[in-house]
Amino acid sequence: MDVGRHPKIKLLAYSEIEEITGYIGNFHVKVRKKARYVDEIACTACGECVKVCPVVKPDEHQLGLATRKAIYIPFAQAVPASYLIDMEDCLGNNPIACGACAEVCDPRAIDYDQKDEILELDVGVAIVATGMDVCDPTILDEYRYTKYENVITSWEFEILTGPGYVTRGELLRPTDRKVPKSIAFVQCVGSRAERRGNPYCSNICCMNTIKDTLYLKEHHPEIDCTVFYMDIRAFGKGYEELYKRSKEVGVKYIRGIPGDIVEDRKTRNLVLTVENTTTGKIQRHEFEMVVLSIGVIPRPDTETVQRLLTLSKAADGFLMETHYQLNPIDAPTGGVFLAGCCESPKDIKASVIQASGAASRAETLLSAGKVKVEAITSEVIPDLCKACGICVDVCPYGSITVDRKAKTPASIVEAACKGCGTCGAECRFDALRMRHFTDDQIIAMIDAMFEERPEEKVCIFACNWCSYGGADLAGLSRMQYPPSGRVIRTMCSGRVAEKFVWHAFRKGAPVVLISGCHFADCHYIDANRWTQKRVEKLWDKMEQKGIRPERLQLEWISAAEAVKWTRVMHAVEELRKTVTREEIEETMRILSEEKGK
Amino acid sequence: MAEEVTFKCLRCGYTYKGTYDRKVPEERECPKCGSNSVRPLPKGKGD
Ligand code: SF4
Ligand code: SF4
Ligand SMILES: [Zn+2]
Repeated sequence: MDVGRHPKIKLLAYSEIEEITGYIGNFHVKVRKKARYVDEIACTACGECVKVCPVVKPDEHQLGLATRKAIYIPFAQAVPASYLIDMEDCLGNNPIACGACAEVCDPRAIDYDQKDEILELDVGVAIVATGMDVCDPTILDEYRYTKYENVITSWEFEILTGPGYVTRGELLRPTDRKVPKSIAFVQCVGSRAERRGNPYCSNICCMNTIKDTLYLKEHHPEIDCTVFYMDIRAFGKGYEELYKRSKEVGVKYIRGIPGDIVEDRKTRNLVLTVENTTTGKIQRHEFEMVVLSIGVIPRPDTETVQRLLTLSKAADGFLMETHYQLNPIDAPTGGVFLAGCCESPKDIKASVIQASGAASRAETLLSAGKVKVEAITSEVIPDLCKACGICVDVCPYGSITVDRKAKTPASIVEAACKGCGTCGAECRFDALRMRHFTDDQIIAMIDAMFEERPEEKVCIFACNWCSYGGADLAGLSRMQYPPSGRVIRTMCSGRVAEKFVWHAFRKGAPVVLISGCHFADCHYIDANRWTQKRVEKLWDKMEQKGIRPERLQLEWISAAEAVKWTRVMHAVEELRKTVTREEIEETMRILSEEKGK
Repeated sequence: MAEEVTFKCLRCGYTYKGTYDRKVPEERECPKCGSNSVRPLPKGKGD
């Protein structure tokens, strides 16, 4: 509401972003403002139109538990407080088939001829706060959701007990419209599951259930409430107190997730079979209603948002922040910030904190009017550039432009470059220089590495964000692994150019390992896809030259995978032992002769 | 375009058939040893 009234905030409700171009400080956004067919300024929200509209439709906002008309306000607190016509539901505007709403609208707000508008905006920053969705419990058929009417989801519970619902907040059992005498809440539906559902904890369901039980007990202390859970996660400020209070008012907590729900045909009551993991006994409990505490999932249109703003998605499908601890608000694309559940499941408080952080990060940038660019960026050496455009194709951030026809050298928007180094690795003409990770610097490290006893060393390229972090954690955790690995850190595995690998083999490397982030974790959106493509080409070329492709290894190791790092170190050491001095010398000879040609 | 190829694990040597699309890279893991050093063999090499 405050946002709607704020003189400096322009709210474009019922609108969709179609295109975003540009970069930090200079985004250009195309927005489709959809036709409402109601003048939002003239509409007084008197509701006369609704009374006469003959079309009745399920109300999406109330999950179809209530109905709406073709002309409607999406939900009670919607901003602007103005009606709109869903033209797909309306009997028709061309020609006007009904016109009932226009006849009764005193302020003459109905406009059947309204058209979608395309707005073009220039903005400096963007905040993504697209929210989340909930998981579909029908994937767990043992709960018979949709088969038994008295099995509902926590979201439906919210609607049925909401003030906007026809019962004005009174929870009634769907099959007999009576206040239920007993209710079971089943936790972790679709969450913390390896096979059906999602492996992560949805973060909000425990506290949501505790809140629901307190609500019920306040209005109907006689209702018997039982919560079936794996473990209750009440870790926020005041949450443990709420959990205790719910137990004090008589809510029962049984540790164990029901394996089956069966309905008694006569009473329509539900019998839950559960292994009580505290007692180790199989139990049966009967309830009049069951509420499934459903987990949180990324919105289905996350991919569209990801594409519009060139963002990264984590393995769980939520949008990825630059760094989960040190930079949890910034998206990898400069000038884009994340707030709320689009980034990970979180409660209202955490969403407000992140949104406030995003707003102040945005404000800091806008008020400064300039940005500090990364120290590690790429730079074009115009004299060497042949305007082939390969760098344009590989840059995950679209930071490079080149006019291939006019053969004008590439140019980099430094404010948009994140310094992954992929362009530098792919340019065949050495026309790109990566600041702080130049070819000369990396070649010098390889030279130093193999100055003495090269046959005893494994050359490892590890990316800064994941693999190097995994190595660090292995060290911190005192994990034991062979000391033969010598690490060269690059920001992204995408920086590891073919020539570095050849140089290492030419200098006597028995084995080279390139390691980076898992695909879903790439901190440079998709730069590590280029790593894999490059390694595949290298394997083919090695084979053609008579060098065993096995000697070049590729591994994806996250910052949490210290165990994998250790395992890989053992594996490459075993591999190193299979490479004889003769084999190394033969490789050195092949590559040196080739270089000499 | 996706094509049927033989993948070879360059750590344990295990080979298996699968689809491969050079344009749509996918993270690969050897089903036997878990290594990511899985090479799509050039046509004619793995058949
Ligand atoms: S890849 Fe190299 S040569 Fe080609 S356009 Fe980019 S900088 Fe120029
Ligand atoms: S370093 Fe990475 S982000 Fe920067 S221009 Fe090159 S490819 Fe793009
Ligand atoms: Zn293997």
